[in-house]
Amino acid sequence: MATREATTAPVSVERRSRTLAGKGLRDWLQVVGIVLIAVVLFVIFARTAPGFAKAANLRNILVQSSVLGVVSIGETIVMLLGGIDLSVGAIVLLSSVVTSGLAVNEHVPIVLAILAGLATGAGIGMINGLFSAVVGIEPILVTLATLMVASGLGQVLLHDSWIQVDNGTLVALAENHVVGLPLMVLVMLALYALASAAMVRTGFGRRVYQVGGNARTARLVGIRVARVQVIAFMVAGVCAAVGGILQAGQLGVISQNDAQGMEFDAITAVLIGGLSVASGGVGRMEKTLVGALIVGMIVNYLTIRGVSGTYQQAVLGALILGAVLLDHALRRRGTT
Amino acid sequence: MLRSAVKLLDAWFLAAMTVLVIVVFAVLQPTWLSVGTFQLLLADNAPLAIVAAAMTFSIISSNIDLSPGSMVGLVGVIIGLAGGGGRGIVVGILAGLALALVVGTATGLLVSRLGLNAIVVTLATYVWARGLAIGLSHADSVSVGGTLVDFMNHYVAGFTFAVPLLVIAFVVAGYLLSRTRMGRYTYALGGDVTGARRAGVNVTRQTVLIFVFMAVMITVAAVVTVANLGTAQPLAGQGLELDAIVAVVIGGTRLTGGEGSMSRTVIGVLFIAILNSGLTNLGLSDAYFQLWKGVALLSVLAVQVVVRRRVVPALERRESPARIVSAAGTW
Repeated sequence: MATREATTAPVSVERRSRTLAGKGLRDWLQVVGIVLIAVVLFVIFARTAPGFAKAANLRNILVQSSVLGVVSIGETIVMLLGGIDLSVGAIVLLSSVVTSGLAVNEHVPIVLAILAGLATGAGIGMINGLFSAVVGIEPILVTLATLMVASGLGQVLLHDSWIQVDNGTLVALAENHVVGLPLMVLVMLALYALASAAMVRTGFGRRVYQVGGNARTARLVGIRVARVQVIAFMVAGVCAAVGGILQAGQLGVISQNDAQGMEFDAITAVLIGGLSVASGGVGRMEKTLVGALIVGMIVNYLTIRGVSGTYQQAVLGALILGAVLLDHALRRRGTT
Repeated sequence: MLRSAVKLLDAWFLAAMTVLVIVVFAVLQPTWLSVGTFQLLLADNAPLAIVAAAMTFSIISSNIDLSPGSMVGLVGVIIGLAGGGGRGIVVGILAGLALALVVGTATGLLVSRLGLNAIVVTLATYVWARGLAIGLSHADSVSVGGTLVDFMNHYVAGFTFAVPLLVIAFVVAGYLLSRTRMGRYTYALGGDVTGARRAGVNVTRQTVLIFVFMAVMITVAAVVTVANLGTAQPLAGQGLELDAIVAVVIGGTRLTGGEGSMSRTVIGVLFIAILNSGLTNLGLSDAYFQLWKGVALLSVLAVQVVVRRRVVPALERRESPARIVSAAGTW
C-alpha cells in the first residue's frame, strides 16, 4: 500500500496543483461528468415517474437533501484529508436536542440556543480532531467512540422522550420561502458556495489539499498538519450541528433515532461525488453537492415508485458500488 | 529485543485494563463476578469473537472489512428462508454459506484485480446486504425451526455449543496466521503489497482467500446468532463489524496493517466482551450504555497510544527519524 502511494505521488501532486489553480481541464470534465450523470438520472426519473418533475416535488427533494447536504460538506473536508468521520450522524442528533431543548423547554433565546448547538458540534469535532491528530489514534476508531458518546448523550438529554419543536425560528427555517425556495435549502446552497470558495481561495483550503495529498511532505514544508486536521474535524462538527438545527425545524419532533446512520449517507454522497476514501487530496466540494442531490433524487424516486424503505437501502448500496466502479473506470482512462 | 519488549507491554497493558474493568464492575455489582456470567458472556459474544478472528486477517492485510455485521444479518435470513418449507436446516446453512462465499470472492476480486479500496467496497456491502436482509424478510423475524436452536443451545458443563465453535475458530485462525503460507502472505500484503507481488506472491489469490475466510466465519457467526436469538432477525449483527475492528485494534494490532497477532485479538475480544457484559449488568439504559462504552474505548485507546509512544523513547528515534515524524497525524 505504502509503496503504491509513493509511486503514484508525482502524478497526483501535479493534478492537485492544477486543482488548486482551479483551471484543471480534467477536473472540470469530471465535475461535468457527475452533473451529466445527475441529469441523465433526472430525465429517466421524470419520464418513468409521473409527478417527479413537478415543482412541488423538486422542492421536496431539495428539502430532503439539505440536511444531508450540509453534513456532507464537513465529511468532504475530513475525507479530503484522508480521514473519515463516523460521528456526524450522532452530532446531528445531539445538536438538534441541545438547540431545541434549550429553546423549547428552557425558553432560552433562540440565538443562544443555536449557538449552543453549534458549540456542541464544534466541541465533539474538537475531541475527534485532538484524539486523531494529536494523540494519534486512527480517525475511524476515534469517531466511532465519539459516535457512541454523542448519541448516548443525545438520548440521555431526551430522557426517553421526545421534543415537540414549536419554536418559530426553527420552524421558519423549514417552512418560510424566499425566492420560491425554503430557507433551509438556501442555507445549504450558501454554505456550499462558502465552502467551495474557501477550499480554493483560502490558505486553509490549500493546506487541506496539501496535507491530504501527502501529510509527510506537507509537514516538511512547514504546514502545521495537526492543526489543519483538528480544524477540519471541528468544521465537520459544526456542519453536522447546522444539519441538526435544520433537521429540528424540518421534522418538528425530535426523537432518539433521528439521523441514525446519516454518517454512511454522507460518506455515500461524497463517494458518488467521486472522492476516494482513504486516499485524500483529490476532490471538489461542488461534486459532493451533486452527490447529495443524487442520493436525494434516488430516495425520492424510489418512494414515488412505491419501493419500500427496506429495498431502497439495497438499491443505495448497489449504487455506491456502481459509483466506485465508474470512478475507477474514469480514473483509469484519465491516467493512461 | 526492543520490539519484543514493546509487544510485551502492549499485551500486558490491555490485560491490565481488562483486570481493572473486571475489578470496577465487581465492586459496582458484586453478584456480576461469577462463573455463570462468564459462561453467558462467552455465548453472547461468540459471534463477535468469531468475526474478530477473521477480521485480524483483514486488518493485518490492510483490507478492512465493514460488511460482517450486515452479512451476518443477511446470511441468517437466508438460512431461515432457504431452510424453511421442509427443506431442512442443512440446506439453509449451505445456501447461506454459498451466498457469503460468492460475496466474499467478488469483494476479493474487486479489491485485488481492480485495486478498489476494501473499505469502500465493503461499505457498499454494509448498506445493500442489510437492505436485502430487511427486504427479503419483510422486516420481520424468520423462523428457523427447532432443530438448530435446540442443538446449539444444548448445555455441556454450563457452556452452550457456541463456545466450542468459538474455540475452534480461534485455533484454526491462529494456526492459519502463524503457521501457514496463507498467514505469512497476509502479513506480506499488509506490509508491502508491491514487494509481495514482485516476490512472486499471487496477490489476487491471497486477497480472495482472506475474504473467503471471512465469509466462512460470517456464516458460523450467523448460525450462532440465529441460535442465540431463536429466530433469524434481519437486524441481527448491527455494529458487529465495528466492535470486531475495535477488538482487534485495542488488542494491539495496528490498523495500518502488516503487523499483529491472533493472541492480541483474543485479549481484545475478551476486553470488549467484559465491557459489554458489565455495562449491561449495571442495568443501564441504552443511552448510558453507549455513552460509557464510548468513553471507556476512547480512554483505553488514548492511554494505549501514549504508553506505546513512551515505551520507545530515544532508541527508535535515533534509528529512524522519519518514522517518528510520521507517528502522529499520518493516517
